[in-house]
Amino acid sequence: MEGTSTKGGVLSLLSLLEVQARSRRHVPPQRSRVKELRAEAEALRVRREQLKTEIQTHQSLQRLRTSLDRQSTHDEEEEEEEEEEMDEDSENSQLLKLMARHTRVKDLLLAHHLIGGYDIVKTRHGKGVCVSVATAYEGVCLETYNLEMDLKPTLRICRHNVPPFVPLSSLAEQGDMQTDIRAFLETLSQHLNAFAGRKQQLKLVKEQHKTIEVMESNALCSILVLMFTVPKTKTAILCTLNYSDHTACLPARVQFECDVKEILESTEWRKNCSLLMETPLHKALMTMKKMGNIV
Amino acid sequence: MSSLKPFSKLPGLNTANILLVESEEQFQQSLADALVEETSVTVNVRLAKSLPLPLENEESRPRIDLVVFIINLTSELSFQSADASLKYLDPGYFLGKVCFLVTNARNASVPTERLDTVRKLAASLHCPLLFAEDQTPDGVTNATERLLTILKVAAGLVPLATALYLSNLTQCTVPLDIDQPSFD
Amino acid sequence: MEDSTRRVLQRLIRRIPTPQLKTTLEKWSGMTVAQRGSMDYTQTKWALTEKLLSLCEENDWTTKHITELEMIYVIDNPNQGMWHGFQLLDPEDDAHSVELTQFKEQFKSHLGELVRHVSVKIKKHTDEAVWIRIAWGDSFSRPNHLKPTYVVHHLQTPYVFVTGLTSKQKPLLSQALVLSTRHHTIKDANLSGRKLTAIRDLLMKQYQQVFPTNFPSPLAEKNETVSNPKIEREQAGPGAHRHQMACEAFGDGMLPQLQSAVYKLETKFKDHTNRTMTERDEPFKCIVKFESTNLLESLRYCAASGIASTPVTPLLSSIPLKGRNYFVITDNGPGPSSQMHQSQN
Repeated sequence: MEGTSTKGGVLSLLSLLEVQARSRRHVPPQRSRVKELRAEAEALRVRREQLKTEIQTHQSLQRLRTSLDRQSTHDEEEEEEEEEEMDEDSENSQLLKLMARHTRVKDLLLAHHLIGGYDIVKTRHGKGVCVSVATAYEGVCLETYNLEMDLKPTLRICRHNVPPFVPLSSLAEQGDMQTDIRAFLETLSQHLNAFAGRKQQLKLVKEQHKTIEVMESNALCSILVLMFTVPKTKTAILCTLNYSDHTACLPARVQFECDVKEILESTEWRKNCSLLMETPLHKALMTMKKMGNIV
Repeated sequence: MSSLKPFSKLPGLNTANILLVESEEQFQQSLADALVEETSVTVNVRLAKSLPLPLENEESRPRIDLVVFIINLTSELSFQSADASLKYLDPGYFLGKVCFLVTNARNASVPTERLDTVRKLAASLHCPLLFAEDQTPDGVTNATERLLTILKVAAGLVPLATALYLSNLTQCTVPLDIDQPSFD
Repeated sequence: MEDSTRRVLQRLIRRIPTPQLKTTLEKWSGMTVAQRGSMDYTQTKWALTEKLLSLCEENDWTTKHITELEMIYVIDNPNQGMWHGFQLLDPEDDAHSVELTQFKEQFKSHLGELVRHVSVKIKKHTDEAVWIRIAWGDSFSRPNHLKPTYVVHHLQTPYVFVTGLTSKQKPLLSQALVLSTRHHTIKDANLSGRKLTAIRDLLMKQYQQVFPTNFPSPLAEKNETVSNPKIEREQAGPGAHRHQMACEAFGDGMLPQLQSAVYKLETKFKDHTNRTMTERDEPFKCIVKFESTNLLESLRYCAASGIASTPVTPLLSSIPLKGRNYFVITDNGPGPSSQMHQSQN
């Protein structure tokens, strides 16, 4: 006893004594096992009934949904048949119909969001809105950018997470945001999508083409300098891609630099130049590799 | 403005319900986790930042058998919040169904007057005043055991003991010389 | 070898803590592999300094080599000294196409025209940042390498971060920066702190901001802990709302580590009984300073735990929103002064 107590102090000794005293006195509560099990069985039965009704509701909801979906795509003729079928169902059909409508609208909204529409949320009791612009490249969803705007007195962006190198304020000025918010969002979305696309291309190049050295790039991904190596001769070629149109994923100008001028004048490299201007960078490099123009 | 009443609802079978009120919402979580481990009775814990409790939970809330105000002595706000919450309790609670739990009492930065104020408050309401250590697991276990003992009595699960009887024995008393300057 | 080079090297080695010395020297091209291998980092700092000084003699290092070493160290350990944020305004049309080599040349030539003796070294870091080290001199003295100014700029962005700049050098640097980045003016962003990363993240919006949305990200949904059904939070709704408001105001996750925020209040003293004070022409000044190891984290906690009221007062939420931590509040400024009553950690 003394040995164990010295470390913990008086309080822990007291609590130890308390536990011991309690365990001596402790009488396990006598409860009828059968009763307990019966109650449990009863509870489970109730639960089963509940689940059954839930399934039923869900099924009829599902049926209504499919009929609704069909209505929107097909002729009106089928509608009547469905109506008759529903009438016999129950007095809850009105409510069910509403619920089906609701899920449908929600799904539509979600679909709209998924294909890259703007997601607009009212904030501060209607005094502002928050718009999110999703970006994607080649079917891959990338970052989502948000703009929080004040509605009054004039439409004004008060908070955003658009990177600073995207000229948001000048876009807002040029696009006449007050009158045509859609056009403004459209150009902004173009800028952001193009930026995300360029960034993704650069990322893919770094991942897929270890032999190509990225000499220079910038935060906006608008200037890219790559170094290729020509097989056999091992000549280095410097390639500068200039994406001067910031709303595009493809470069506006491609320039090669090399010590051996003859290489660049060959038809192959002329083709490469147009290839780089017309196809996404990582794919163009893949083709160039396959053709044996670069290592 | 509704006040919490001790006898407005029926008790559950072999069930005790405790309400932990703490403005900082720190200690109450670990305490709650330890309290629900109790096996001999079913303990339900409700956590609140302050009183009054929201009306929309009125239906789902079981009968509260014991209200515990957790006061962190290092923070004046913690005491003020507990003090302000008291008025939302039905007077029936003060017949042994309220207790105060003080943490950080040993902290050197605590002005001694604050502890005295808490003691005076507890004494004036005839409530027990417990001290707890919230940083160590041992302290949490100890505090849990104290609370469980009081809770079982308050919920009427201990034969021959009532909350009022227990609180008569455990209520905080203010020493006579509390306002006298001490000379040691 | 010159005496000044020795002094610069000595001073630099004294600044670098021994654990960092190895990694820093390994990144530097000034030593041969054999020399690098011969360094014994278990020795005392004094012995190491002596060794490096003798190597300096042997390899004939110039000040250029030493400054190179210093830049490597500073780039790897940027969170020293006081960093100030500046913002470039009114970009010209071609501001977006400024490219590194062009910027380098322009900056050097513009600064060279303004100050006769100046030593500029520009290096591009892996994270697209351009680091500029400037050792200033004047028309009579040579560049002082002991007190260099460091400038960090991300091309195509309007932000510049500066440390170690005196008020005398400020207009010179401003002019060179404005001209070489193709902007018209530059202004103080009123943001300063010990951590470059924090200031950069705050101005460039590189921390996790929270926006109200209908579609919470899957990650946020996962974070909800499964709680015991016997434990119920009475005020869970308001608590979650407070947390959301706090995150919307200050951001989620790791916040930029800002050390202080200063509010300078300039107002008119109004009290009928005290005429001498009321009739004073000068404004009545008062400075409120918030300090913490991580100020934004503290403020977010205050708002989330209910110590500070939500929605967060614009005075506090302006720190991340406007990206500044120095505010001057005048009588017709944003909000009454009585809003600043919360104190924290």
